Amino acid sequence: MNGPLIVQSDKTLLLEVDHEQADDCRRAIAPFAELERAPEHIHTYRVTPLGLWNARAAGHDAEQVVDALVQFSRYPVPHALLVDIAETMDRYGRLTLSKHPAHGLVLTTTDRPVLEEVLRSKRIAPLVGTRIDPDTVAVHPSERGQIKQTLLKLGWPAEDLAGYVDGEAHAIELAEDGWALRPYQKQAVENFWHGGSGVVVLPCGAGKTLVGAGAMAQAKSTTLILVTNTVSARQWKHELVRRTSLTEDEIGEYSGTRKEIRPVTIATYQVLTTKRKGVYPHLELFDSRDWGLIVYDEVHLLPAPVFKFTADLQARRRLGLTATLVREDGRESDVFSLIGPKRFDAPWKEIEAQGYIAPADCVEVRVSLTDAERLAYATAETEEKYRFCATTDTKRKVTEAIVRRFAGQQILVIGQYIDQLDELGEHLGAPVIKGETSNAQREKLFDAFREGEISVLVVSKVANFSIDLPEATVAIQVSGTFGSRQEEAQRLGRVLRPKSDGHQAHFYSVVARDTIDQDFAAHRQRFLAEQGYAYRIVDADELLAES
Amino acid sequence: MDRMSTEDRPPAPRSLAEALRGRDDVSLGGLLRSRPDLITPVPTDLTQLATRAGTRASVVRALERLDRFALQTAEALAVAADPATYDELLGLMAGDEADPAVVAALPHALDTLREQALVWGGDDRLRLVRTARELLAPAPQHPSPTGLGPTVQEATAGMSPGRIQEIVVAAGLPSTHDSVSAVTALSGLFTHRKRMAALLAGAPADSLEVLERLVWGPPYGQVTPDPAPRLRWLLDRGLLLPTAPGTVVLPREVALHLRRGLAHRTPEPVPPVVEAAAVHRPQVVDSTAAGQAYTALATVEELLKDWDEGGPAVLRAGGLSVRDLKRTSVALDASEPVAAFWVELAYAAGLIASDGEADERYAATPEYDEWRELPAAERWSRLATAWLAATRTAGLVGGRDAKDRTLSALGPGLDRSAAPEVRHRVLGLLAGLPEGAAPDAGSVLARLRWERPLRGDRREDDLRGRLAEWALSEAELLGVTGRGALSAHGRALLGAPAAPSGPGEAPSGPGDKLPVHHRPAPPRARLSPAEQAVASAAAVRLLTPLLPEPLDHVLLQADLTAVAPGPLEKHLADMLGVLADVESKGGATVYRFTPGSVRRALDAGQAASDLHAFLTAHSRTPVPQPLAYLIDDVARRHGQLRVGAASAYVRCDDDAVLSEILADKRAAALGLRRLAPTVLAAQADPAGLLEGLRAMGFAPAAESAEGDVLITRALAHRTPPRSAPEPVPDGPPVPDDTLLAAALRAIRAGDLASTTPRKPGTAPTAGGELPRTGSAETLATMQAAVLTGEAVWIGYVNAEGTASQRVIAPIRVEGGFVTAYDHTADEVRTYPLHRVTGVAELADDAG
Repeated sequence: MNGPLIVQSDKTLLLEVDHEQADDCRRAIAPFAELERAPEHIHTYRVTPLGLWNARAAGHDAEQVVDALVQFSRYPVPHALLVDIAETMDRYGRLTLSKHPAHGLVLTTTDRPVLEEVLRSKRIAPLVGTRIDPDTVAVHPSERGQIKQTLLKLGWPAEDLAGYVDGEAHAIELAEDGWALRPYQKQAVENFWHGGSGVVVLPCGAGKTLVGAGAMAQAKSTTLILVTNTVSARQWKHELVRRTSLTEDEIGEYSGTRKEIRPVTIATYQVLTTKRKGVYPHLELFDSRDWGLIVYDEVHLLPAPVFKFTADLQARRRLGLTATLVREDGRESDVFSLIGPKRFDAPWKEIEAQGYIAPADCVEVRVSLTDAERLAYATAETEEKYRFCATTDTKRKVTEAIVRRFAGQQILVIGQYIDQLDELGEHLGAPVIKGETSNAQREKLFDAFREGEISVLVVSKVANFSIDLPEATVAIQVSGTFGSRQEEAQRLGRVLRPKSDGHQAHFYSVVARDTIDQDFAAHRQRFLAEQGYAYRIVDADELLAES
Repeated sequence: MDRMSTEDRPPAPRSLAEALRGRDDVSLGGLLRSRPDLITPVPTDLTQLATRAGTRASVVRALERLDRFALQTAEALAVAADPATYDELLGLMAGDEADPAVVAALPHALDTLREQALVWGGDDRLRLVRTARELLAPAPQHPSPTGLGPTVQEATAGMSPGRIQEIVVAAGLPSTHDSVSAVTALSGLFTHRKRMAALLAGAPADSLEVLERLVWGPPYGQVTPDPAPRLRWLLDRGLLLPTAPGTVVLPREVALHLRRGLAHRTPEPVPPVVEAAAVHRPQVVDSTAAGQAYTALATVEELLKDWDEGGPAVLRAGGLSVRDLKRTSVALDASEPVAAFWVELAYAAGLIASDGEADERYAATPEYDEWRELPAAERWSRLATAWLAATRTAGLVGGRDAKDRTLSALGPGLDRSAAPEVRHRVLGLLAGLPEGAAPDAGSVLARLRWERPLRGDRREDDLRGRLAEWALSEAELLGVTGRGALSAHGRALLGAPAAPSGPGEAPSGPGDKLPVHHRPAPPRARLSPAEQAVASAAAVRLLTPLLPEPLDHVLLQADLTAVAPGPLEKHLADMLGVLADVESKGGATVYRFTPGSVRRALDAGQAASDLHAFLTAHSRTPVPQPLAYLIDDVARRHGQLRVGAASAYVRCDDDAVLSEILADKRAAALGLRRLAPTVLAAQADPAGLLEGLRAMGFAPAAESAEGDVLITRALAHRTPPRSAPEPVPDGPPVPDDTLLAAALRAIRAGDLASTTPRKPGTAPTAGGELPRTGSAETLATMQAAVLTGEAVWIGYVNAEGTASQRVIAPIRVEGGFVTAYDHTADEVRTYPLHRVTGVAELADDAG
């Protein structure tokens, strides 16, 4: 009775990471519980029906889950919770979608009352055809996605064993010259292929693109890759050319600016969800080729309309890649029913140990507004408030002090407001890259930064999105909220790589005290802390006094 | 079997009173213990005790407390001859095959009935108490559970002698000269197995089918005026006897023959065994129960904390509103019935009560503060003991009472006197199982029904069954049981002996089960307060090591959470509860620090340095820098702005004047305080302040909200348009002359009529007086009249207060009513005894 795990009444599991059995426990609960927060001492996992069904889909049974909880729990696990878990897991697999030689797609059951129950639902009735025998009912092939979605909502997730179309063949090989898929990446590809369709969960920086490439080499067919934005699309293309037998010409980009359809096509969510006159004009992309594989990058950001299209693509293999299954809109169930169950989940710690991801030292510097600024802030219109506090003069002084402290290291200064950046560039004697900077100029400055010819670069939010933003060891964020919290963390991970000499990376955000700037920062910090990034808060005065 | 041979006994008792007189003190003590209603008040002698034991209410109570087999035995006696012999009874219970289980169990059942004074007399003359016989014997109004009909003698009572003779002849008996001997002969034939078999052997197959349908009851059937041949055959031979036009009955003797002597279709001599649905390791059971016990404590504390600053309002009818219960259930993260249970539990333990203020609310009692100081196990035992004895049943909450009012938690109408007894019994049954065995709920219910058949499924709402189900689920919630099995501390709490451990001791065959049933039910239904205290202490001893030790530390994390990996010491939990918000509960507690929560702690009088010291002292890990920063940051701004209330102010550009006012003693009443050099705040209202300052010799001017000087002038206050009130005269209007004259004339005429002397009339007859007797005499006379079947003369006052006299022939006296044939009205009527002013026997010449 001294295990590392504590089961809470809200079905969260608290894991004491410093406990000697913590590793075993983590391995035991990872298949069915989602890691929600990973601060320094206690990690929080959550048990959800989807998590339990994911575990079922991966071949675990209720007994294993219950055993894991009972074995590692510090206190007696409420009986009701165990019963609930067993009952929930038992619901998966009672219904199966499969191919019938004579009737096409059919829904079969091992438990007749369940079939009776779901068939009585008004939402299921229009999706099914004739009753073939007491345990089998025909399903319209076009409703394969819809019925899975609806069944999940009814609490009876169906196992999809109906198979896939092969799609148009296209030779793709991994070009493993001087590098190889890491063992966990291989495992992920294997699990995915074996499971048919599903989601691979890997932390940021763990090489999700390579898992995608591996899956493509396995499928050897035309592939549609859906990514979040153009930057990401370019990065995918770059990686695929480098890592596989594919050439530039075989890979098309389908975005706002370019509309290429090639054997491997990378499309952005944005272009797909563009709506003109009430229709989605780019929807035909899905039918433009006989795709054999569809890859969804960053599944947790998948926009709602894409789900709708995906429902019609159930006969094609689908691979979802993400760092987290938690969606801010709560549509995890659609990911489960339409893309597939979780097929692979890598333990964060193991990948971290390989040195590919490393927590940066995050520091929040609080600056005070001057009295005049405070008055201006208090009287500003709501939409102007952020600008007022984000561009306070004190921030410049603090930024200069930080730059001085890390003199000699590669420093990026990131901001949102051009005036502020121009001013900073002037004071720091550093070049500024903003939206209007030409590509050639950008390229030149980036190269110079990489080579170490210039050590400080001021970039705007726009430039910040650029694919080839060089790596740095210090980043100073003076303004800007940068979309969702996850996006922020991912960007952080990308920009801040530990140097080969073991220098720790630093991330400073300069925040105006007692303003909404601070509120935004609080959200961000919570997320960072939950991801295991340690952070500190210092006063600008202290920092200025030190230097 | 050598049953109470009569030889070495005094002569057989002739009445229940005599039978009681023959019993020793132990046996009488048993009677009084099982029927406590007999000694409230204490009877003066055994005759009175016997009389009381024979009253209908008391007999009904006693019958309701019988188990199924004892009841079946009583029912069998009710259809047997009076008196009956033991062998006759055995025949009815065990049947011709003499079921060994029944043979074995019957003596015990009979002893039970004897002890309860429901049966008296030796084995050769067993007599069921008359009231019990009346209650249990088959009658057209209330069919017997045996499904038997009247005897041949009863059924032929109103039959013409000619018809009886026809039947006797048709049945193949010699005709006799009188009906009585004919009926006796017929009964003799029906009760003689061989001759009866021979008679039935000649019956047409479809006639036998008819008998088959009626044999297990109900014994009544409908016939047309011209019955079918198969019925005709039966009617001719008296195998069916008419009871009313169109209705026939299967005589008891015939039914018993067809049943092979059995009074009951399924005698149930053996109580249903409580089956174990699952057997867990006792350690698992105990630790699960302990975990749940801890949760129970946490939940009750949480409930009380939720209500700490004023609980929900008390409904006018008493209790908690549905909305408040819903809110509480959300706060406790439990379903509403479960939330109702916790609320009722806290109430039963005396931890919450209504505060009795004008605006009545629920609040914690001072008892609660004492309770909180106790060690966890003792806190639990307080709750569990209160639960065991409570008659309030939370399970009823949300249901409706007889008047269709919703039953609310903490409200009236939740008391069910049977609840503690059922609770004890259910837990007692659990205690009878081997350690770690969780019972099958169905078998527990079946057993309870067997033990109190008249109290169980007969009632439409099956209260006992529901009480038992609630007892099981509540025991689990409270941690008395774990995984359905009685925990060691639960067992100790009941004062129950240690469980039968090995499976060898568990009952295995029908014979083996008998001792289980007839062993006095362990444990006794109620422990005395002293015994309960001992039992509680034992439970506390067992539970204490199972409960988690309170921790004195938490883990602080950079995401501004604190995790308490177990229950915290009280002062630590209290402090953290103020300083941080609870985010998740269970085995551990997750607290989150927010600017709001830190501010709350500062508001509560803590200084930032106190908070730092507190966190450093109780954190096992270094205090994360962001958390320390958060506290300082909130403290920096805390109290920067000050808010207070004032009702008026004094403003003056010359601070010397204000200083002067402040220094003046007369200003004390105005409650002045200097906020700034030129501003004073006052507690007095502006008018009072003006007046006060003027009295001190100043000449203040009033100021409007905008700072303008107000010009003082008498403001005329006006209402909205109103109409003048209508005059309300003191009496009717003064009459005019015409009316007055007419009225006077009428009065005089009436006066003349009443004062005119008239001739004397006839004197009232003495016989018209109502009889007057005391209530005791009334009752006695009535009861005597029931026995003698004589008519009496009563005085009666009806509901409107009208007195009348009636001649009635009482049939039944019970429950304060007399049912009688009323000769005056020529019908059967029921009169409340308290309205009968008196009773007199009829003079012989009357009637």
